[in-house]
Amino acid sequence: MPVLKADNVAAVLRKGASARLADPLPARFAVGQTVHALNINPPTHTRIPRYVRGRRGVVHSDHGVFTFADAHARGETVPERLYSVRFSSEELWGPQGSPGGSVYVDLFESYLASAT
Amino acid sequence: MNELPMSHHKHNDPLPETVLRVKALESLLVEKGLVDPAALDALIDTYETKVGPRNGARVVARAWADPAYRERLLSDASAAIAELGFSGRQGEDMVVLENTPQVHNMVVCTLCSCYPWPVLGLPPVWYKSAPYRARAVAEPRAVLEEFGCSLPEDVEVRVWDSTAEVRYLVLPMRPRGTDALNQAQLAELVTRDSMIGTALPRSP
Amino acid sequence: MNGAHDLGGMHGFGAISPEPDEPVFHADWERRAFAITLAMGAYGRWNLDMSRYARERMEPAEYLRTSYYEHWIHGLQLLLIEQGLLSAAEIEARMQRIAAETDAGAES
Repeated sequence: MPVLKADNVAAVLRKGASARLADPLPARFAVGQTVHALNINPPTHTRIPRYVRGRRGVVHSDHGVFTFADAHARGETVPERLYSVRFSSEELWGPQGSPGGSVYVDLFESYLASAT
Repeated sequence: MNELPMSHHKHNDPLPETVLRVKALESLLVEKGLVDPAALDALIDTYETKVGPRNGARVVARAWADPAYRERLLSDASAAIAELGFSGRQGEDMVVLENTPQVHNMVVCTLCSCYPWPVLGLPPVWYKSAPYRARAVAEPRAVLEEFGCSLPEDVEVRVWDSTAEVRYLVLPMRPRGTDALNQAQLAELVTRDSMIGTALPRSP
Repeated sequence: MNGAHDLGGMHGFGAISPEPDEPVFHADWERRAFAITLAMGAYGRWNLDMSRYARERMEPAEYLRTSYYEHWIHGLQLLLIEQGLLSAAEIEARMQRIAAETDAGAES
């Protein structure tokens, strides 16, 4: 890409760079399905926070297909479905969790497995 | 270089070396023709004077005043926000979370500092700092109390961790006693923190 | 990676302490760090996830000791060197030159 010039700043910012991709990948998980976040520890870039690894959650929504962050950090564009997954506070924090509270985390499909 | 000894802000005291490093990088990148100094000024000016939480306040005020807009905002936030002219970098794929008498939403990015720039501008230091990122997901009610936001026991607190490229904006509840206000007056009640979910909007 | 950036649930950081009427930038070096990072992002030699990974590779104790735009500058420098756009030696040399010029200016 060319050097960013002052005249182009407004247009470049307004356009942004969506990570959404048009690839029509099937969804492995359905909204409402119970899943668990895998216990994985890649030594490279990943967007699965430690506090959800190995925890059970419920698929809250399906955001569609995005570029998979872990691969993108290696310069590769790999389409993958992205979900919002709801974890109860008690599932995440045990007795220190807050009853009735929950945390919604955006997780790529390959971070998840069916919990059934 | 006289900002070195004069910078006393708690979270922002840089290593003196950092200030020197920034100057060195800028000078080398300009010299090699990789950055245009006028573009740097335009980038700074954009986020210092043009893009900020007043944008988001206009979105919220419109949603409070216009039920059809609220519907569009909740079903396709990116498109509804773009109707008001706000779009682009760090707001490409937006989701709006509606607060109700039963549900209070609060947004964090535990892994970095993801934040919806087109509607809120650049994030405040506390949003990017370790205490908020560490605590928001684990003890949101204690965090809310620190912000002076005390919610009834029966309100469900939902915390949204922006771990991917979706950016979240909270649609706070419209304060009571605002029936006579127009959208510009309503927007004055909408604070930045009420759109992150760490506070409630002002009362008229 | 299991770095210091992955903060959710950690204890011991204390109060959040929001700053009233906080400015967008707290010092001029922050403005410059922000702008050169965005300008080089637009140049297209790396993407946002590569930038995040570069910031995450900051040594954990240093990550926790430093501020947001210091993370950015660490990441930017790493990417510039990895992509062969600048060398560590020329960055060091330029820092020394600017420091020397600043000292000379202060003494005169």
